[in-house]
Amino acid sequence: MKLRKYFALTRAGIIESLHFKLGMFVMVIGNLLYLILVYFLWRSIYASAGGGSVNGMTFTDTLIYLVLATALFNFMEMYTVWEIGRNIQSGKIVLDLLKPMSYRRYLFWSYSGGFVTQFFATFLPTFIAVTVLTHGAVPLGINLLWFALSVVLAVMINYSIDFIVGTICLFTESIWGINIMKQVIVLLLSGATIPLAFFPDSLRKIVDCLPFQSIYNAPLTILLQADPTPAEVLPTVAVQLLWAVGLTVVSSLFWKCSLRQITVNGG
Amino acid sequence: MKRKGFRFYLRIYFKILAQDLKSKMSYRADFIISTVGMIFTNIAGFVSFWIMFRNFPSISGYSYHEMLFLYGFSLLSVTPTQCMLDNNWNLRQQVYSGDFIKYCFRPINLFFYYESEIFDAKGLGQLAFGIGTLVYAWAKLGLAVTPLAVLKLLVFLAGASFVMAALQTAAAASCFWIENSFYVLDLAFRFRDYAKYPITIFSPVFRFIFTYIIPIAFIAYYPGMMVLRPSEVSLLSWLSPLIGAVFFYLAYRFWMYGASKFNSTGS
Amino acid sequence: MDEIIRINHITKEFRVPDRHEGLRGSIRDLFSRSYHTVHAVDDISISIAQGEIVGYLGPNGAGKSTTIKMMAGVLEPTSGEILVNGCVPYKNRTRNAQNIGVVFGQRSQLWWALPLVESFRLLKDIYQITDAQYDEMLALYRSLVDIEPLLHKPVRQMSLGQRTLSDILAAFLHDPKIVFLDEPTIGLDVSMKAKIRTLIHELNRRKNTTVILTTHDMGDVDALCRRIVIIDKGKMLYDNDIEHLKKFFGAYRTLKLRVKGDLSEQAKRIAAELPECSVSANENWISVLVNEDKQKVISVLSQLQKSYDIRDMQLEEISSEDVIKRIYEGGVV
Repeated sequence: MKLRKYFALTRAGIIESLHFKLGMFVMVIGNLLYLILVYFLWRSIYASAGGGSVNGMTFTDTLIYLVLATALFNFMEMYTVWEIGRNIQSGKIVLDLLKPMSYRRYLFWSYSGGFVTQFFATFLPTFIAVTVLTHGAVPLGINLLWFALSVVLAVMINYSIDFIVGTICLFTESIWGINIMKQVIVLLLSGATIPLAFFPDSLRKIVDCLPFQSIYNAPLTILLQADPTPAEVLPTVAVQLLWAVGLTVVSSLFWKCSLRQITVNGG
Repeated sequence: MKRKGFRFYLRIYFKILAQDLKSKMSYRADFIISTVGMIFTNIAGFVSFWIMFRNFPSISGYSYHEMLFLYGFSLLSVTPTQCMLDNNWNLRQQVYSGDFIKYCFRPINLFFYYESEIFDAKGLGQLAFGIGTLVYAWAKLGLAVTPLAVLKLLVFLAGASFVMAALQTAAAASCFWIENSFYVLDLAFRFRDYAKYPITIFSPVFRFIFTYIIPIAFIAYYPGMMVLRPSEVSLLSWLSPLIGAVFFYLAYRFWMYGASKFNSTGS
Repeated sequence: MDEIIRINHITKEFRVPDRHEGLRGSIRDLFSRSYHTVHAVDDISISIAQGEIVGYLGPNGAGKSTTIKMMAGVLEPTSGEILVNGCVPYKNRTRNAQNIGVVFGQRSQLWWALPLVESFRLLKDIYQITDAQYDEMLALYRSLVDIEPLLHKPVRQMSLGQRTLSDILAAFLHDPKIVFLDEPTIGLDVSMKAKIRTLIHELNRRKNTTVILTTHDMGDVDALCRRIVIIDKGKMLYDNDIEHLKKFFGAYRTLKLRVKGDLSEQAKRIAAELPECSVSANENWISVLVNEDKQKVISVLSQLQKSYDIRDMQLEEISSEDVIKRIYEGGVV
């Protein structure tokens, strides 16, 4: 029964995103162009490196990694910060706060419709295309299950980070500035634009201590491992789990405290 | 009524610009955060560039510093679009809410009036970054600093900036026809990132596409070659300022046509 | 008097996409789209003289703003011709814009972050107003309203009333021949409404500016307009003096009653008893609109007295609002 109210939001989200038919078409074209660029760029890089593997990744590995990172990005990027910021500026947030569920959850489930459409419209086709085109370079085995689990955790971490950054919008009017900072940091340090394997060691050490690598690098690294034993995967997933729980708690608390602060000061 | 020539528009533009900057100062926090965000974007872009190419002496026959030169060139050629056409990002909401109508009653060019409303000062950070990159690459490459070279740089930069302006204007104008044209504009914005690589990394088919169909090679590669390798430029490099101007004119007509169509949808 | 606007048999049609409901509808829309034609404006002819204030009335979606957009030159009519100040607006949009001023209800055309006086200075440049004209206009404004506290306030910090006032002043600044006011008093309190009506009236009188006013507020019409034009569903219903209209409905009187019992209940009973009259009720009064050509008020009153306990009564001449309402409802003209 409780899930039904969440599913109602999911359904509304699906209808809404289908209305944007040309938007979807353009998004597919845009991704295609991006992937073409990625393909040729890395082909040149590998060509000048004399072929073979660079930093432990072959050309195919890198390509699969980056293609799926793009697909994951489309799937996970929900423009949460924009939405929160806009709702705060327009005052719509007051209405949302009156809804009989926590704002954090309300927003998440409102967007879950987008998750569903994006999953079927971009991620799944991309995944199938990559699997077919690379003639089995993507290992299909137990790693898929671990990957699915890892993606769920990644979604939670990503959403929590977005929500924390969105909460900052309660204090400042600069939605664009905050959002762009978040976006470039997450995309670079999570390994979404360049696999972390290519990072210089010193930088890599810092990045490993941050939650961002759990969003893209963790699930994609797991996916590229053929028949991993639990011992190989568990450390990665455990780190993800820690971040997911930790950031969920932090983001909820931060929101609550901020809201109290704001209502007390009548901002 | 006096004729409204170039000088009339120039004077109006600078008056509005001065007022706009004055009012930006009243949102100081937003201005600072946005500028920091912009600097972050540029640093992240630069770091990605460095991570990818630092290990390789050359990519498709272009040395690291030559690539850096094109990178700086592309930053500079997108700066005018960033600074002067930033209101294009708001076009979608204005059209959607019907507020766009308020721009239609003034006795001056509609496109000019609309774009003049906002000057994005944070783009100046990008300008500084671009100049820095270009000067550094120029020095490292040991290119001669002659008046002719500087003149060439300025002329071909101007032509190149028309190309990005045209792409962005045409993309923004798509909101007069389709809902959620955000994706279209976002796609055009991403072209900015693709423009910085030498077109020789692509296969002939895509070289053709990026030259004649989606002319992003004119944002940095063709005009940049005029300064970078003056001895081996093609006819397309020579023609690039003309192509930029023509392309921008077409995009402008498209925008104006869309605006006239907007009014006939009734609201 | 000189004719400033001439509209001959204009029509405007729009093609509107059909949209289907629900999840299945959305998927259907994804693959095919059908359209239907809407006649927003259907064969309208008007002639307006310099210096007139014309009330342009009609329910929502009647085609008022479409007509205004065509007069302002931002919209091309599907057929028919418009001449504003001797030229065709949509062919010379910028030239036409020099002669008109527009206020669109709640959409401020001023620069949001700027103090009003800075907006004025920009407008001065855009409309190429000479220093002398500008100073004269500002002096006139000073004599009409207390603008000093507004001049140095950014528009975004103004109240709705101040913003509307500022928008109206901005629309008159370049001394245009015609000013279009689209619901200028919407959402304002009574004293602000009065202030704005006086301002419009004075500016019209001093500058002989033609004013075309669309509104839903009959107070605006009564205070400002001698002539009204009424359209509904794109068609012209009425174009004449407001007095003429009232004369036409002169035989009507409104009998206001307060009776014992629940007013809305009693109103329903009265409506059933008096099929010739239209009956409505609010929390204070039951209003019975009586056509004296058919039935005298006295006879209605004596009929009602038999079955109701009448506590209080008033007799009113018909108001413009009632007249307009009658026209929308019945299309009597």
